[in-house]
This record gives sequence, structure tokens and C-alpha cells, in this order.
Amino acid sequence: MNPDLPSEAAEYGAGAARAFASLGGLDAARRAEVDPAERGRSVARALEALGADQLDPRADPDAAAAAGELCRAAGRVMLPYPVVPLLLRTGGAPLAVVGEGRLRVDHGDLFDEWRVATVDGRAQAAKPASSRLATKLGPFVVDLSPGGPQAEPAHRDVAFHLTLSAWLVLGVIERAVELAVEHVSGRVQFGQALSSFQAVQFQLADAAVGVEGLRELCRFTLWRLFADPERCQPDALAVRLHALETARTVLRTTQQLHGAAGLCDEYDISILCRHVQPCLRLPFGSERTALELAGAVERMGFDSLFPHGARSAVG
Amino acid sequence: MIWAPSSAQTTSGESDLDYDFGDRAAELRGRLRQLIADEIPPGYLGAFTDDPADLEVAQRFCHRLADEGLLTVAWPKEYGGAGGSVWEQTVVREEMWAHHEPRGAQYMGLNWVGPAIMAFGTDEQKQRFLPPIAAGDVIWCQGFSEPDAGSDLASLTTRAEPDGDGWRITGQKIWTSYAEMAQWCVLAARVGTATAKKHEGITMFLVPMDREGISVRPIRSMLGRHHLNECFFDDVWAGPDEVLGGVGNGWSVIRRALAHERVGIVRYARCDRLLSAFAEEEGVPELLRARWARALVDVRVARLLAYRAVREQEAGEPRDATASIARLAVTQCDQQVAEVLFQAQEDRSLEAGADAPVAGAVEDHWRYAQAATVASGTIEIQRMIVSRHLLGGRK
Repeated sequence: MNPDLPSEAAEYGAGAARAFASLGGLDAARRAEVDPAERGRSVARALEALGADQLDPRADPDAAAAAGELCRAAGRVMLPYPVVPLLLRTGGAPLAVVGEGRLRVDHGDLFDEWRVATVDGRAQAAKPASSRLATKLGPFVVDLSPGGPQAEPAHRDVAFHLTLSAWLVLGVIERAVELAVEHVSGRVQFGQALSSFQAVQFQLADAAVGVEGLRELCRFTLWRLFADPERCQPDALAVRLHALETARTVLRTTQQLHGAAGLCDEYDISILCRHVQPCLRLPFGSERTALELAGAVERMGFDSLFPHGARSAVG
Repeated sequence: MIWAPSSAQTTSGESDLDYDFGDRAAELRGRLRQLIADEIPPGYLGAFTDDPADLEVAQRFCHRLADEGLLTVAWPKEYGGAGGSVWEQTVVREEMWAHHEPRGAQYMGLNWVGPAIMAFGTDEQKQRFLPPIAAGDVIWCQGFSEPDAGSDLASLTTRAEPDGDGWRITGQKIWTSYAEMAQWCVLAARVGTATAKKHEGITMFLVPMDREGISVRPIRSMLGRHHLNECFFDDVWAGPDEVLGGVGNGWSVIRRALAHERVGIVRYARCDRLLSAFAEEEGVPELLRARWARALVDVRVARLLAYRAVREQEAGEPRDATASIARLAVTQCDQQVAEVLFQAQEDRSLEAGADAPVAGAVEDHWRYAQAATVASGTIEIQRMIVSRHLLGGRK
């Protein structure tokens, strides 16, 4: 029993964080919104320099942990690039998880060929079919058109996608709490720092519980993907659900603690809250995810101390 | 830095990111479940009911665990334990709490009174007090909280006045669990006059509950008998050999005790078992499928946060904030699961006893869960600890 990350993975994640900082941190996202082509230049080069194209999280647990740390680092700056799809490419085509209807993908315009899959693993080829939404909450979202079904199901890849997306959300909320701590420590009202108010302190404490809980669940889920690959769908949906619900409360709290400033794009919290939305909304939000999880538990069980659903790994 | 697959091989030989407790712990879990199946009657809801037979079950079970060498699995071998790992200790805590703590009140002696005596006691105290705890023969209670010293425990006013070579203790304690059934009490009292530093002067005494001057009054509550009592200490004698950890050093003992309590009560384990048992017995109501799934995730997260605190203990680097984060998650999970189960029971939630769903375990759990965010330090105190850690010196 050891819930700690391999040191090599942690070091790789630290290297990624330094590389993204050299891009300007969240300024890279700001620049990409003005000039979307920037994503394919400096951001793609930074990922290439990190060897992200050689990193396959499906290969072994250490590579998966390194990929998780890469995604967490990307989330901290809301890196304007489809990092999770890139890590799960097959034959050069990145992987996106989509809903039953519209094939809506963040940064869908950056690749000519995609592999898309539904949560239950049905895969097909797809290619960009629209211009970017270019909205406040979906600046880089593109609709794809189907390019024909693929025989090979993508169950395991989907589980990795859901899990690594949760790692990305972990980076987002981890950074959001840091930003809130910085803000309430420096902002003076009623003659004292906001951080001296117990109501503020308690909100930060609850946010920290959310971050640490998601961190532990992300790590545990990566382990499950290798420990029980045939029955890890409930685990991937569980971490996805927890990421969505934790992000909702932590981002709301941390943006609120910034006051009106939190709504302004000069402040990093605003960029984080806007740019993470495609990750939280695509292919669907928490309510449908919870129902998908309930169904998966009923079919496949849920690893725990006692049996749940169809079976239990511990019993 | 480029990720190179060849560098991914771990050189330490230890497996990182591995949640398997190992064969020894799995075997231990199996033995404990078999013992519970053999010794504990179906529908058992713990030792603290109105039925004295339930206390007898717990006392018998403790002796059986002691005979099997399982009562002190995690104690060091020099004190009669098995020298088990923190993970084996975790297995014991999980299985006991999941099955309504069939060790009864003795968990407190095992979890923290014994370890505190090992850490702070004299050789004579170790020889006198540890063997009865290890044998499952003795129940301890803790005299900490007072009517005007709850979360602000250091404000306690129970006084110990010098008298010859010993002390005379006078004061009132409250919320004292198991005081009626306990043979011994770890009692916090103040020696000398109060100073600007409230923690100074606090001293821990180990006193028998049948000593002259001690009286106990049960407090009626939704938790049931034995959980809450008032204890009155009226000029109670304590000898010099009954001081634990030295005069004025009581706060160190209390901090250690509370640190053990924060991670020692693994409420997620009972949540896990009850969700499983209810689904098996009654099925998951269609209306609650999504909420049920969320509850399973919450239980898993609470368990993992508790494991993080255990991991820090194992590494010799326990942090107060980690233990408090775990406690915030575990206690709130306890209440959420209680509510989900009550929603599932609908109008049968008001029933209690053997004829109620899951033999009354859900009703018992809901009542007991209401105390989760108060007992052993309120969650407000835990939030203060966490925010202090987050803000550091910037507040």
C-alpha cells in the first residue's frame, strides 16, 4: 500500500509546470483567445519539447502517472491545447469522448482526423466540420462530422480519457484555491485582510478538502485502470463525477472570494473558470454522469470494502 | 525534461501508487470477519444500548480477540502487541467500526490511552495499566470537556490542589462517554494558578472511577445510553504515581490523544457496509440511483483521505491539516450517507429495533451520525486548522 506518486512522474510534472510557466502561464490562454493559431505554434512546441507525443499513459502505471501529472500541470494554466486527446491518440488521431448526438470537441480544429467515442466505448472516425464557437465559455469548441464507425471498441481509452480529464480539473481547482488564498491575503476591507474573517477561512478550508479529495481519487483511479482493467468503467465515471461536482463548488467559492475582480479577465481566476467549461460540459455534465455511474455500478460493481452492485473486488 | 520510458523503472524496489494492502492484511480482514460472524449476534448495534447483554457481548469479544492475538495487532511487540503495520491497524479499525464496534468502549483504551501510556507513562504505569488493556479487561473514559471548556479545551477549570505528596481534584466534566461502565479515567485538571498561557499547568491523572468523591450522571440524548455523561469530582485524591506525562505536561498528552481520535474513527467503513447491506436487503430505489452512486464515491473519497493521513503517520510526518481534512470529509460523508439511507427507507425511517430495515442499523446510524461533526473536535475546529495551514503566516 503506497498512495504516493512515483518520483519520476512527479519530476516530469514539475518539468511540465516550468515549461507552461515559460509560456506565460494563463497568458498563453489569453493569447490563444486573440490568436487561436498560437495554439499550434508555441503551445504545440512546448508539448513536443516535453515529449508528450512519446508518452502513452496506457503503456504502464508509471507512464500513466506521468500523464496525470502533465494534465494537472496543463490544468493549472488551462493550457489551450487538447492535451488529454493528444495523450490518447491512436494512429495519429487524438481521442475525444462525445455524446450520442452532436460530436462537439474542444480544440477540434487542431487536428484533421479524430477518433471519437461514446462513454460506452463505441468509436468512430471524425473530422472538423464547423468553425470555432468563439464564445466566452467555448472559445475553441468545434463540431466534428462522423467519418464512419470503427470496429475496435474504445472502452479502455474512454476510461483513461475520463480519468485524465479529472487530473486536468484537479490542476484547475488546485490553482483556483491558490489564487483565492493570494487574493484574500492581500485584499483589505474593514481595515483588515479578508483572510482574517472566519467566514472566508472556512470557505477556503472546505475548498481545500475538495481539492485533496479529488487528488487522492485521481491517484486511486489511475491504479484501478491497471489493477482491474476489465471493470474500471465505474471507477473512471466516479472520478469524472467527483471532478465535475468538486469543480463546481470550488470554482464558485474561489471566484466569489475574488469579489467583482473574479469576473474580470485581468484576473487569472476568470480565465480558469471560463476556459475549463468545455471540459466540464462535454460530453455531458454531472447529472447524466451520475446516472451513467449508477448503471455501470449495477452492471460491474464498485470496488470497496463491501460488495456493491454486481460484484465487489474485495467482498 | 522529456518523458523517456526507460526512466520509468522504479529503482527503489517499492511499488508506488499501489492501493493493495497486501496478503497479511487481507488475511487479517478475513479472520476478523469470521470472528465477527462467529461471535456477534445478527443485528448487533454496539455495546451502548439499553440491553446489558450487548455490553457482555463486547466484553466477551474483546477477550476472544485478545486470545487470538488480535486485540493489540498494532501495538509494539514490547508491550504485548503483534507489531503490525499501520495498514493492519487500519484494517482492524475498518472492520470493527463497520460492524458497530464490537469491542465496545475498549476501542479507546486500545486506540489512544494505551499508546499515550506507552509514550508518556513511567515504567511502573506501563506495567500496571498496559497488560489489562491488552487482555481486554478494562474500560477507560476520558475526562476532558467541561461545561465551559468544549472546543476551547485549554480553558478547563477542574483543579488539582497539592495535598501531601499527592493531589485533591475538584471539578466537573461533561460529554464523558462510557463513564458509567468505565473502571478508569484519564482526567485533565489544572495545577497551580491560571497563567496567560492557558495550556500551562494542565496535568493528566489516571484515576479509578470507583474512588471516593467521583459521581456520574447520565445525560439523556438521541444517541442512547452511555454515550454522554456528566462526571463530578469532589475532592478526589490522586497519588503522585497517577500523574501521566509529568505535572503541567497534560496538553502534550491531549494533543496526542486528539490526533489519534481524528484518524482512529473510520466512519466511512460503516457507511460502506450499510449502503451494501441496504441495497442487498431492500434494493436501491429508482429515485435514488444517482444519489446512491454519489454516496459510493463520497465514501471512497473519505476512505482515501483517511489513508493519506495514515500514510503520513507511517512515514513519521503526520500533519495536523491532513488529519483535519480527512476528518472533515469522513464526518460529513457519515451524515450524507445517513440521509441517503433515510431517504431510501422513507416512512420506515422512524422505526427502530430488530424489525426495522437492516435490523435497525440505519436508524441507529442516522442518530449517531448527527454527532459525527461534533465528537472528538467539531468540524469548525478542523476548518480552523486547515485554513491556518492554507494561509500560513499571511492571515
